[in-house]
Amino acid sequence: MKYFKLPDLGEGLPEAEIVEWMISEGDLVKTDQILVTVETAKAIIEIPSPQDGVVVHLFGQAGETIHTGEPLLEFAGEEDDSGTVVGELKRASDNGSADHFFIGAAPSTQAYRQTMTPAVRSLAQRLDVATDHVHGSGQDGQLTVNDIERLAKTDQTHGKAEPLRGVRKQMARNMALAHAQVVPVTLCEDVDIHSWATTEDITIRLIHAVAAGCKAEPTLNSWFDGQQLARRMLDQINLGVAVDTAQGLFVPVLRDIGNRKLEDIRQGLNRLREDVINRTIPPAELQGASITLSNFGTIAGRYASPIVVPPSVAILGAGVIREQVVPVANQVVIHRMMPLSLTFDHRAATGGEAARFLRAVIDDLAKESIS
Amino acid sequence: METIYQAQINFSRFLSASGQAEQPLPSWTEQPDTLVSYYRNMVLARQLDNKIIALQRTGQMGTYASLLGAEAIEVVLGERMQPNDVLVPYYRNHALQMLRGLSMEDLLSYWGGDERGNAAAAMGEDFPNAVPIATQALHATGVATAMKIRGEKRAVVTVCGDGATSKGDFMEALNVAGAWQLPVVFMVNNNQWAISVPRSLQCGAPTLAQKAIGAGIRGEQVDGNDVIALHESVSNALQHAREGKGATLIEAISYRLSDHTTADDATRYRNNEELKAAWEREPIKRLQTFLHQKGWWDEVQESAWQNEVAQLIQQGIERYLQQENPPVEHLIDFLYAELPAALQEQRARLIRNAQPGGSHHE
Repeated sequence: MKYFKLPDLGEGLPEAEIVEWMISEGDLVKTDQILVTVETAKAIIEIPSPQDGVVVHLFGQAGETIHTGEPLLEFAGEEDDSGTVVGELKRASDNGSADHFFIGAAPSTQAYRQTMTPAVRSLAQRLDVATDHVHGSGQDGQLTVNDIERLAKTDQTHGKAEPLRGVRKQMARNMALAHAQVVPVTLCEDVDIHSWATTEDITIRLIHAVAAGCKAEPTLNSWFDGQQLARRMLDQINLGVAVDTAQGLFVPVLRDIGNRKLEDIRQGLNRLREDVINRTIPPAELQGASITLSNFGTIAGRYASPIVVPPSVAILGAGVIREQVVPVANQVVIHRMMPLSLTFDHRAATGGEAARFLRAVIDDLAKESIS
Repeated sequence: METIYQAQINFSRFLSASGQAEQPLPSWTEQPDTLVSYYRNMVLARQLDNKIIALQRTGQMGTYASLLGAEAIEVVLGERMQPNDVLVPYYRNHALQMLRGLSMEDLLSYWGGDERGNAAAAMGEDFPNAVPIATQALHATGVATAMKIRGEKRAVVTVCGDGATSKGDFMEALNVAGAWQLPVVFMVNNNQWAISVPRSLQCGAPTLAQKAIGAGIRGEQVDGNDVIALHESVSNALQHAREGKGATLIEAISYRLSDHTTADDATRYRNNEELKAAWEREPIKRLQTFLHQKGWWDEVQESAWQNEVAQLIQQGIERYLQQENPPVEHLIDFLYAELPAALQEQRARLIRNAQPGGSHHE
């Protein structure tokens, strides 16, 4: 045996955490000598060596988790029993040979929770195909040889799927969670901003308008707990500002926008943006938003259905400002218009509350100036 | 008011924890053969037990229930039962089953997940392992009833733990054994722990043996780490049963020196001091001391036997590991004498799907 794989140490335990190695790489070990102490969900267990041999590699340090069936350590000078694919694939079946009983693949465990026959599993391993969460075409969703070959071909043609990391992974999780929990309704409306000076700071106007909306309709500046069916009305307006980066979506929080001077808010916003781009923003600055602003209009897009991330209950999106033909006092004129999209969680707020919030936002944005 | 019934429970021990005779010993102990045989078998039982746990830890064995601390009970039952008696075991009777004729590779096969190990021809009329708790006690009374109806001079032995005595099955079995005067020996291996439930929480009665009184059968307590006391108690109970004098409940006081099974970690609920104290009373060292004093066993014999046992075990394991994997239909084949129609269908599908690419053919 080249690799000693973590056996199922209980009854269907999927993993174990390494507590302590009793040996080091390079050690000569004897059969039944204790190699390592691991902790499973049920017990702290000492694992003995299945054979005599020299250990050349330990997989994992104390504190790390090893899944059942993954290698724990490697013995020197043994033949690799994982096999490589050359020519025709052998469809492993139970031909009764003694080496079918290979140490470490205990006949239960996590692997068995995926529905495929040992032959198919062995093929998936040889072709290095990820089978997690794949629904097979066989009976009861079992993965078949054809499925594995198709997955392998996909990998070959398009390259392997790259697992998400960091912020992007967090975004995927948050969005899925939001999608699963929130009952979203999106209202869209245009604001006529013809009266604005050309130098007007659009983001600051939007921030000011959100504050005005919250003051008019405090329900949307709240946190909602869907499990307890409880809400917290928040006094302070802490605005999450969506910032797009190559690494993914950041939403730093601009504190207390209802009570700060506009210059102060602008400086704060600049600082947050810089910190995000330099990746120096502390995690605390990304937490505690009571409502969110997404100004995707700086890039492209008119209306959207922005996603509310719990526990907050509303998000305002602003699209690209455009010149548009509008009727004003029975005349056809061309004015600059800003499209708005407000999504709110209908569990936490009524349609009327959301519409009144949006009304206040529009009225504030329609003002010629706010300074 | 008058007393209409009085009962007492006797406790017997001949060898103290340090291997000294506490009272005059029975005459059979004047010859070394039986005691040396007990000793040798206990050593084998313990070494095999250790090795099976190592096999489980390295993925070569399924979940396993250790017999550590019950060696004396195992070997005395195994050597005192007659071949035509019937054993209705529970899941800790590995050495007892082997003394009844089960091969080591069959024993290992069963715990490795192969039903053939539980249906070995060498088991004769003995029952397969009962993993459910206390159900075997009722099976034993069924077998004993058959013997009684046929007028046979045979005995049935069934073993359970202290936890099992709290179950209805156990109480029902005692009751029917008393009502019908059945030839059964109920051996309770009171090892003080039912998984994580200590004996003190298991039952309000000071002894488990006294449950026999309510059923109208003989009940007694014996030191389960003392082969001599066990020998006396088991021999008497078997003789009573074979002579048609009815059933006996033997409560053997032992200690589970192991975890409940390999899927358990007793350090999470058991005081280490208690465990250390129990090691002072364990059965093998106790008998070894006695045999040394008698001059019936020495270090040369010890070392030779340890080596021989290691070889026996290694050979047994090799035979076990070389066995072909069981066919998939064994999942079903050992459940019924005649397979119900619904299971026949499932069986056919199992076999079909086990073929290469099997599920394609549906």
